[in-house]
Amino acid sequence: MEPQGLQMNQTKPGPSLFKRNPPIAGEAEAIERAQNGDAEAFSRLYALHKRRVYTLCLRMLGNVSEAEDMTQEAFLHLFRKIGSFRGESAFSTWLHRLTVNLVLMHLRKKGLNLVSLEETINPSEDDAPRRDFGSRDPQLTGSVDRVALERAVASLPPGYRMVFILHDVEGFEHNEIATMLECSTGNSKSQLHKARLKLRELLRHPEQSVQPAGLKESAQ
Amino acid sequence: MTSNKSESPAPISCTEFQEQLPDLFAAGSHGLPEDPALVEHLKTCEQCSALVRDLQYIADQASLLLQPTHEPSDNVWKKIQAGIDADRNQK
Repeated sequence: MEPQGLQMNQTKPGPSLFKRNPPIAGEAEAIERAQNGDAEAFSRLYALHKRRVYTLCLRMLGNVSEAEDMTQEAFLHLFRKIGSFRGESAFSTWLHRLTVNLVLMHLRKKGLNLVSLEETINPSEDDAPRRDFGSRDPQLTGSVDRVALERAVASLPPGYRMVFILHDVEGFEHNEIATMLECSTGNSKSQLHKARLKLRELLRHPEQSVQPAGLKESAQ
Repeated sequence: MTSNKSESPAPISCTEFQEQLPDLFAAGSHGLPEDPALVEHLKTCEQCSALVRDLQYIADQASLLLQPTHEPSDNVWKKIQAGIDADRNQK
């Protein structure tokens, strides 16, 4: 049975997605061979994409065990569906969309209602970004590295984190995110803006950030 | 009475300016407005100007997270292989 909300159609991505997901050497051949049932080629695809798929799962779920389970699910689903990949979008874009939809379905099963971000996973007053009036903190430009950003993103409330990862990291458009999260485009824009405001606060005050799951054991 | 084209737009508050930011960023204008009232506010308000600069910087820095930083355990591949074998045996 096709999982609810899992979209395997290959809509044309925006140019940013191709820019973010350039073709990988040897990938096209491995895809073709894997589509013909070549187990070694599928293993090659796993090796090429496992880290990005796992990192995506980990960022969305914030939990190593669940992220590994969803990585497993995503590649098993890929194995079953790879014949339907027609190369109309970057393979990694297609795989990431598949992964995101599986993770969202998993979260819905767990009871996290994504239908209305505002009502269900909107953060409390304490977590919401403050308006920027009268602040004299230094500007951020040039001061943020990957580790600091990773920590700050991990500290975001789930709804903010989801939209930030999907839009600013993965490069999905607001209309795509709205479809995935079953919310309005306006809601997606609003959540993204609040996410960036909250990140600004967290990056200015790093002591408020948490240690991201899995970072300690595998950060590079 | 004729309108004066060089007249400055009516000033807006920081709240009014910041309410427009989600749409300005979503429009791909990096938070930079075309509306004269918003332009004027951005030119004259240090706080909102710093806010727009920081939010754009954060959006730009997000690409740092594109590089995968985590590796799944070997156990994941073993389970995938087991799942594939189970699929094949069912056929």
